[in-house]
Amino acid sequence: MVSLARKTLLYEWRRFLPAVLAVGFAGLLQLLQAALVLGIFGGAAVYITGSSADLWVGYPGTQSVDQGRAISPDVASLLYMNPEVERVEPFLWVDGDWRGGGTGGVSVFVSGIDPGPNGLMFAHALAPNLRARLREPDAVIVDRADLSKLGVGIGGSASINGHRVLVVGVASGLRALGGVNVVASLDTARRLDNDPSDAGRPTYLVARLHDPAQAAKVAQTLNGNHGFGPYRVWTAQRFARRTMLFWLFDTGAGAGVLFLAGIVFLVGAVITSQALAAAVVGSIREYATLNALGVGVRALRWVILEEALWVGALGLGGAALLGGVLIALARREDVPVVLNAPVTLACVILVLALALVSGLGSMRSLRRADPATLLR
Amino acid sequence: MNVSATPALEARDVHKSFRAGRIVSTVLDGLSLSVDAGELTLICGPSGCGKSTLLSILSGLQPADAGQVSALGQPLDGLDKRALERFRLLHTGFVFQGFNLFPALTAYEQVALPLGYLGLKRDTARERAEAALIEVGLQSRMHLRPAELSGGEKQRVAIARALAKEPALLFADEPTSSLDAANGQMVIDMLHRIARHHGTTVLCVSHDPRLIGHADRLLTMEDGRILEDRRTPPKVVAKPTGTSR
Ligand SMILES: Nc1ncnc2c1ncn2[C@@H]1O[C@H](COP(=O)(O)OP(=O)(O)O)[C@@H](O)[C@H]1O
Ligand SMILES: [Mg+2]
Repeated sequence: MVSLARKTLLYEWRRFLPAVLAVGFAGLLQLLQAALVLGIFGGAAVYITGSSADLWVGYPGTQSVDQGRAISPDVASLLYMNPEVERVEPFLWVDGDWRGGGTGGVSVFVSGIDPGPNGLMFAHALAPNLRARLREPDAVIVDRADLSKLGVGIGGSASINGHRVLVVGVASGLRALGGVNVVASLDTARRLDNDPSDAGRPTYLVARLHDPAQAAKVAQTLNGNHGFGPYRVWTAQRFARRTMLFWLFDTGAGAGVLFLAGIVFLVGAVITSQALAAAVVGSIREYATLNALGVGVRALRWVILEEALWVGALGLGGAALLGGVLIALARREDVPVVLNAPVTLACVILVLALALVSGLGSMRSLRRADPATLLR
Repeated sequence: MNVSATPALEARDVHKSFRAGRIVSTVLDGLSLSVDAGELTLICGPSGCGKSTLLSILSGLQPADAGQVSALGQPLDGLDKRALERFRLLHTGFVFQGFNLFPALTAYEQVALPLGYLGLKRDTARERAEAALIEVGLQSRMHLRPAELSGGEKQRVAIARALAKEPALLFADEPTSSLDAANGQMVIDMLHRIARHHGTTVLCVSHDPRLIGHADRLLTMEDGRILEDRRTPPKVVAKPTGTSR
């Protein structure tokens, strides 16, 4: 069967180009926005996603990893009583004030971690030999992209909360949201901590399980226990998502994202349906002739829907291509962008929905395809 | 005279008027007519006398206000939009003054397109489309788009598009009005030949007096009424070979 939709699209491509561009740009915008939001707000959870722990234990009600309060170190023994737990490690969060390098003060988050080769914290971001350098007293590691902000280079020194620190190395994948991450050993971090209420107590305990797949079950079991003071266990995945959502909506960025997505969708749909409708009206006498010959209005609607879906597919292809290039470019420039499968799928669905809605919107112009108007 | 059991098209006491604001203009006022199968019937008359309105009612494009209309023995009044579409799909072909060809499609594709909706198999559709194009003399132009065809050729594509459906009824509204004399001649002859060779009932309406000599039967219309019903002597036309449907 002759595909009227495809032939028309190819032959009158100029007519459909605005629609393809509108769909493509709408898709690209959604994709980049999603990647940026995931990248930026995913940064809030870098402590979790950059580590290999399966469970996180913190103060009950903690909404985001940066909001932690000290818990009892004795909870560790409770964790070890569970046969699924392989390793437990404390994590100390210290808010710091960085001085030096002519910066005039930068607010930093000091992460006190186990510098051992099997350490869980920042296992993905720090190679074992780099971690080992944290054993030196007062040694810290920062993200490569933060060096200029801190006004130091590798080997440079500065002070945090009035204590001297030495930058022994840089890594990537340590960038934080709302401040600068500084990684130190637990001992160094304790020295930097001026808050007497912490008294060396960890902000979190993180644990690895023999079988990571059991994380949810073990967390539930552990949450049923009592007696070591207040604590709460989350799986790493849950806690990362909790952190990201907190930032997304606490900062109002979430509402902004949804708002922009709505606008982009609306504008894209208007442009696309206008272009499709113009194409229909341009051939309205031909459509009317087909109807005179007995081709039903329903079948004619399908032609338009097919055109809309092709426009959507073409726009999507363009958006994917350009989006891929832009995201690769952003990664090279250390711009935080992240894409995961569900979000990409959501973008694809959104774009196809846009095309579909536009197709449905432009169908109204088919009403003018009345064969009686062909008679003079 | 042709004496067939049921006329291919029949209208009895048909009324049609149009309303423009408060003004109601009556176009057809109690018109009755029957069209015999297998011949070319030409309805002639001045512009605005209601020819096209009559054609659209007889072909199921538009309902009459009152009166009975039947085509191929089947009453058309009372059929809903879908049923009328179905009837037209199965039984009718149309040729209009405008050629109404999709700019994107080649002559072959224009003709094959409606056949797909008829549910024909690919090969059957291809055979029919090619045969129709050959019949209108366009075998060498099958793969050209409208932009590459002359007006006469475009109208022949439109005729082939109607013909390939193998309809029992073929309607033509001013088919020659946008063509020069030679092409107009060729088109009306072609319609005549289709009536004779395929037994198709061809109803053509036109204000063009040059067509008068080319029909089997000539109806003259004025102000919504048939004034004269005349058969042209069979010197122009050999008698149909008895294959009327
Ligand atoms: N859809 C319509 N709305 C209003 N008036 C119409 C419509 N169609 C036809 N008419 C009027 O009906 C009359 C007959 O039209 P038509 O059948 O097209 O005449 P013809 O084909 O003989 O030139 C004309 O006066 C025309 O203006
Ligand atoms: Mg007319």
